[in-house]
Amino acid sequence: MNRSGGAFGALSAMPIGVLYVAFLIAPLAFFLVMSVFKYDVFNLYKNELTGENFRRIVVDPYYRGIIILTLKLAALTTLFSLLLGYPLAYFLARTRTAWRGALLFLVVAPLTTGVIVRTYGWIVLFGAEGMVNGILVGLGIVGRPLQILNTQTAVVIALVHILLPYMVFPVFSSLSGQDPALEGAASTLGAGRARIFFEITLPLSKAGILMGSSLVFTLSAGAVVTPALIGGKDVQMMGQSVYELVLHTLNWPLGSAMASILILLQFAIVLLYFRRGQRAAAHG
Amino acid sequence: MPPLTADPEHPTARRGGFALRLAATAIYVFLLGPIAIILLTSFNATTSTAFPPTGFSLRWYGEFFRSAGFTDAFRFSLELAAVASVIATAIGFLAAYAIVRFAGRYRQTAQSLALLPAMVPHILISMSLLFALNFIPLPSYIALLAGHVLICLPFTIAGITASLEGVDAQLEAAALTLGASRLRVLWEIVLPLVAPGLLSALIFAFIISFGDVYIALFLSGPGMTTLPIEIFSYVQWESTPVVAAITTLQVLLIFALGFLVERLVGMRRLMRF
Repeated sequence: MNRSGGAFGALSAMPIGVLYVAFLIAPLAFFLVMSVFKYDVFNLYKNELTGENFRRIVVDPYYRGIIILTLKLAALTTLFSLLLGYPLAYFLARTRTAWRGALLFLVVAPLTTGVIVRTYGWIVLFGAEGMVNGILVGLGIVGRPLQILNTQTAVVIALVHILLPYMVFPVFSSLSGQDPALEGAASTLGAGRARIFFEITLPLSKAGILMGSSLVFTLSAGAVVTPALIGGKDVQMMGQSVYELVLHTLNWPLGSAMASILILLQFAIVLLYFRRGQRAAAHG
Repeated sequence: MPPLTADPEHPTARRGGFALRLAATAIYVFLLGPIAIILLTSFNATTSTAFPPTGFSLRWYGEFFRSAGFTDAFRFSLELAAVASVIATAIGFLAAYAIVRFAGRYRQTAQSLALLPAMVPHILISMSLLFALNFIPLPSYIALLAGHVLICLPFTIAGITASLEGVDAQLEAAALTLGASRLRVLWEIVLPLVAPGLLSALIFAFIISFGDVYIALFLSGPGMTTLPIEIFSYVQWESTPVVAAITTLQVLLIFALGFLVERLVGMRRLMRF
């Protein structure tokens, strides 16, 4: 394109540039910088630099426990999303039914209802009078309703349910991008189905698995509403803790330090994903 | 549920196809079951959310329409989503056009930068906006709106970029050669060609804004409570089927819109990160 084109391009990119800088990058940077200031009861913060906030999060067993629990629950959520998401993505990529468009829509559809709606569904299911307890008691497996809400298991189940589409789609993309002739050729050459899957299909879908896993991991590590409603007081995750610190405890510097650790975690994972992706591309 | 049939010519379909179909069906039940349960609970005749529901009644729908808190929140959410989705589509269209036509070898970088709001946890976006409001006297509605536009943009840009890729650049070059201005080319040639993509981006943005809870968690205030926030604060204390009734209405609205998007462009293209 010629020079006037360049100017026009810059002009078209102007609104988004202004919006991102003014409402995303600047406030976020400002907020994260707060983490190195001293806490003050009356003015939110004191004009004094300190490493105390980060030290406290790492040393204080309460906050350290929150970080460890967050990592644990996010890892479990990612693992189970992969275990459920992969077969579904595989099925969707290989099926030739005329309903494929509709089946794909059904995977995305729950995503569009918002986090609250899906979390509420699990509150209804897991409650003392809910269906899960109804079945367990009805079949005589347990004598009286189990406490399912307010446990880590419940949080992981709900998070897997809420984040599953984010796993299915990247894996589906990488699976449907594969050349079907590869599997056919391996089969002709005498490879069994298990061998075809583990030596051809699975390695070739690694990019999708990495993408899906990093999405699910970061989204579950930052979850607030689902752990708050399903996990109750006993299951504290990092997102919730930031929320509590900023809105209820009003300790902005500490909340900001916790948020900084969350963001660092996030970018570490994104970076890992890109480096793995580049290596995979380089080695074919 | 339609019959799930696998490709008969595919090597893996010969055996094991049945197990795969069974697994896929089970996963669909897991995915859609909780939503189906909510829909059924909304017709419950009693105050409990026990399942299976006892009796059939529409009392909880009546309860919703009588509750000013919920109906106001519903209306506010609709208005906010309408404004946010229009802005996110307009800005997203311009940004996508700049990326596809003018970014050149920086295209990859520009595309990644455009996805920035999707890479930061939404709760941190809203928290930092709240923080900024402490120092800059801005109406909090503006911050709420900006937050919603931000979280919608990665999706509108992804969708519109996909549509723009289907537009032949030669058409624009021809119009330019014939003396049309850049703006006129954009308005009279590009815009009509990507209209279906724009409409689906608009609907998708509307859905995202309407379902958002994280941005509104910090930025909604008196008179500006969105529906998900109203539900969130209600569910923390009480759990009557009125939430199920609201949820059902919301699901119906969103499924109708989602179906429209699927018809127009296909969700797959919008989900591409």
